[in-house]
Amino acid sequence: MAAVKYISREKLPEWLKALAAERRLLVPVEEGGAVVFRAYDPAKAPVFGSDATAPPKGSVFPASKELFSYTYGKEGEDAKPTLTLDPKTTAEPTVVFGSKPCGARGFLIFDRVYMGKKFPDPYYIAAREATVFVTMACDTVENTCFCHWVGSGPADPAGSDLLLTPVAGGWLVEAVSAKGEPLLASPALTDGAAKAAEAEEVKAKTRAALGEAPDISTSKEALLARFDDMDFWRDQSDKCISCGACTYLCPTCYCFSITDEGSGMSGKRLRSWDACMHFQFTLEASGHNPRPTKAHRLKNRVGHKFSYYPTLHDGLIACCGCGRCVKSCPVSVDIREIVQNAVAKAKA
Amino acid sequence: MSRLEELKTRIKEALPGLECVIGWQKGYDALHNTPLFMRSAEDVDKLEWGALNVHNPAVYLPTMAGKKVGVVVKGCDSRSVVELLQENLINRDNIVIFAAGCDGVVDLTKVKAKLAAAGTGAGVVTAVSADGKTVSVTAGGKTVAMPMAEVAADKCLRCQYPNAVLADTFVGTPAPQPTPVPSANADLDALDAMSVPDRMAFWRYHMDRCIRCYACRNACPMCVCRDHCIAQSREPHWLSQDDSVTEKLMFQVVHAMHLAGRCTECGECQRACPMDIPVLALKKHLNRTIHDLFDYQAGVDAAAIPPLLQFKTEEVNIKERSW
Amino acid sequence: MSEPFNPYLPEVATILETVQETHNIMTFRVRFDDEAKMAAFKFGPGQVGQLSAAGIGEATFVINSPPTRMDYLQFSVMRTGEVTAKLHNLVAGDKVGVRAPLGKPFPVEDLKGKDIVFVGGGIGMAPLRTLFLYMLDNRADFGKIRLLYGARSPLDMAFSAELPEWTSRTDIETTLTIDREADGWEHKVGLIPNVLLEMAPKAENCVAITCGPPIMIKFTLEALKKLEFPDEQILTTLEKRMKCGIGICGRCNIGSSYVCVDGPVYTYAQLKALPNEL
Repeated sequence: MAAVKYISREKLPEWLKALAAERRLLVPVEEGGAVVFRAYDPAKAPVFGSDATAPPKGSVFPASKELFSYTYGKEGEDAKPTLTLDPKTTAEPTVVFGSKPCGARGFLIFDRVYMGKKFPDPYYIAAREATVFVTMACDTVENTCFCHWVGSGPADPAGSDLLLTPVAGGWLVEAVSAKGEPLLASPALTDGAAKAAEAEEVKAKTRAALGEAPDISTSKEALLARFDDMDFWRDQSDKCISCGACTYLCPTCYCFSITDEGSGMSGKRLRSWDACMHFQFTLEASGHNPRPTKAHRLKNRVGHKFSYYPTLHDGLIACCGCGRCVKSCPVSVDIREIVQNAVAKAKA
Repeated sequence: MSRLEELKTRIKEALPGLECVIGWQKGYDALHNTPLFMRSAEDVDKLEWGALNVHNPAVYLPTMAGKKVGVVVKGCDSRSVVELLQENLINRDNIVIFAAGCDGVVDLTKVKAKLAAAGTGAGVVTAVSADGKTVSVTAGGKTVAMPMAEVAADKCLRCQYPNAVLADTFVGTPAPQPTPVPSANADLDALDAMSVPDRMAFWRYHMDRCIRCYACRNACPMCVCRDHCIAQSREPHWLSQDDSVTEKLMFQVVHAMHLAGRCTECGECQRACPMDIPVLALKKHLNRTIHDLFDYQAGVDAAAIPPLLQFKTEEVNIKERSW
Repeated sequence: MSEPFNPYLPEVATILETVQETHNIMTFRVRFDDEAKMAAFKFGPGQVGQLSAAGIGEATFVINSPPTRMDYLQFSVMRTGEVTAKLHNLVAGDKVGVRAPLGKPFPVEDLKGKDIVFVGGGIGMAPLRTLFLYMLDNRADFGKIRLLYGARSPLDMAFSAELPEWTSRTDIETTLTIDREADGWEHKVGLIPNVLLEMAPKAENCVAITCGPPIMIKFTLEALKKLEFPDEQILTTLEKRMKCGIGICGRCNIGSSYVCVDGPVYTYAQLKALPNEL
């Protein structure tokens, strides 16, 4: 691993400018009270203190992406119909700077699905490979944080390429992947060895602030055991209003829709974010819906994250514990509570 | 007996005849209350009444058609219940309304800003107390006292109905009607002052961060198409799923138009928005037009027919023949 | 540099022929425009494809022509929604997109040497047709083959052009049934599960393969249990709304099983082990 570096607050804009000169640089900025990842603008100071309202999910998995364009035509004397499909799988080189570890970790969950052996997804792979994550470890924890429940933590390097840890005057910078190392070459960075101990203290202190995580290791079986208990799911979902805030703001929610958008002889096929909380998600053309109520849908959302996905992927929980679904839910549905309720019920 | 205790007593009395009663309880931290579906006496004991009851429980009523349910309401929430009754979207015989005087609720976005200004954050709140005049929030070891007038929801600043306009059970003494505050319509005033291109730029700027989660739609008690909304339907295929400001804004306009003269300005659309987009202003603007044209306010009279749900050959304020 | 394989990109195909099977079922026979890809195309009976009408969208259908007859790929489409309505308006010469094969086929190797009972209802005959024809084309590999195919009325019976051959062949036993008496109908009248009980196939060394509307499946399974078919000897294929067809988009999962990649073919034993969300 490369030597540890240090970047001061004063030198940070210099580094950001250098990064932005070579590729798309996304940083968290304040917009009308929300914090979102946007292309770096030297005139607008990034917001690194609190976790962004929306995670950097769109950097690799945009809200909508053109899979291909289509064009109908006619050719020859007998005007035979033609159909041309033109896919675009290329992605723009990107640095995502200033996400918290949970935001970057989300892509670990994506990777196992989109980079599977049978059907590797060329759109995702191109974007994933073109994107470098410069992540900032947390030095505060919020009431909604629960990364330590799901095998992560406030300084989790998994999914990141560089890890920055806040220290007095700036950040300690560590390369945590080979992809991150070239970014350390900037002259704005200095040797960080002297700050390493302080950074370790920050990491330890933040981790300690989260306290003990409850034991949810039985969530896989506990949620399956509740599958037919619709009274349980009614109680968990009573207040849910079936919107998509939890899923769209979730760094690990990867479901999508495919729709054709166009008119006349040409248009495009889009892949766009979709949410299992919506009634239409599983609605079949016949009118039948295997997940007809919000109770069925919330069951699938929680079940997918804490039971079905771990079953398929070596126990890995499809949740990074960022707490956005709790914090941004208009009615404060708390996924932590639901998982704990299921676990407790299985024990009882 | 306090309003809250009396509410609990009356709800417990009524509960045996009801599927459930919808109210509020404490949420995941001291700053957040959350909707409560009371099905047992133990549930009723969790009921809260006060400045953190920001949600409008009327949103759940149309989804529970056919069941006899109770609902606890603030004055503003009661207007949604009334509007739902006006439109026959719920059945009066199936709804039991519990109410008490409301001293206003907070706008969590304003509270967040106050905490940030004090050098702390909404994410680390450990305690909240409110006495009607002041909200004291303890976060990150600091206690920040906020005058209610500065952190109350805008709707509270212009509230005309602090007491339910329709209730089966009203407990305690009615709350006094607050004096309207000039800043209550600051959002509309600011938009009115803009040129049309500036106004378009304003909406494009804000709608750009919309994630199309439809929390605005689903939190709206009057937005009852919900599962069959044109936002996601293919038949008709009016909106594209393309992530563009045009599509996002189009939805907001459709939503607002559909609410003209139906919206009670409960503000749930804007409160629910996880991206803090000021979408209520669109509905307020249309309501102002409805008010000017028809001298009508939604959700105050269960017997009134909303102006856009009826037809008159000659409207008093629409001079078709003199055009 | 060649592009990596793109599972979302359909092959452009031309409709060679359409057959109006019933008032709401139409069969499409298509070939890829890229002849090399058509020649190299391999699939197993039971696998599905996404048929697209670019501009409207895609929907999932079983490839109901067998891999032993590769002049074309055949899909039978019941008009239900937006995509199927558009497909029904297409004619020979029009272009469609095809993403195939998707999902898992019937376990053909395991079926060799066994007696087979097909029980198909309505459009549910489509997936059975693939395997049925495959078996006829490899007749010596299988034991006794029986087909029970039912529909509401004679007019609702798809593949009617093939029925005379199926009923007259002596190396198979075909029973057709309709729900209620109809003029000119020379075959059985009665609900599929009841006719199946009359037929009373022996479970020993026999596999039952069924597909049809949910209510028919439910009672057919009950009938098969009465006939003492073990759960492992009953195969069925499931239908779910699908978008990606490659196990990602999150619609068709029943617990941790994705119908588009782990199905659509399941044994009854496998189905019973899944959570109840059909």
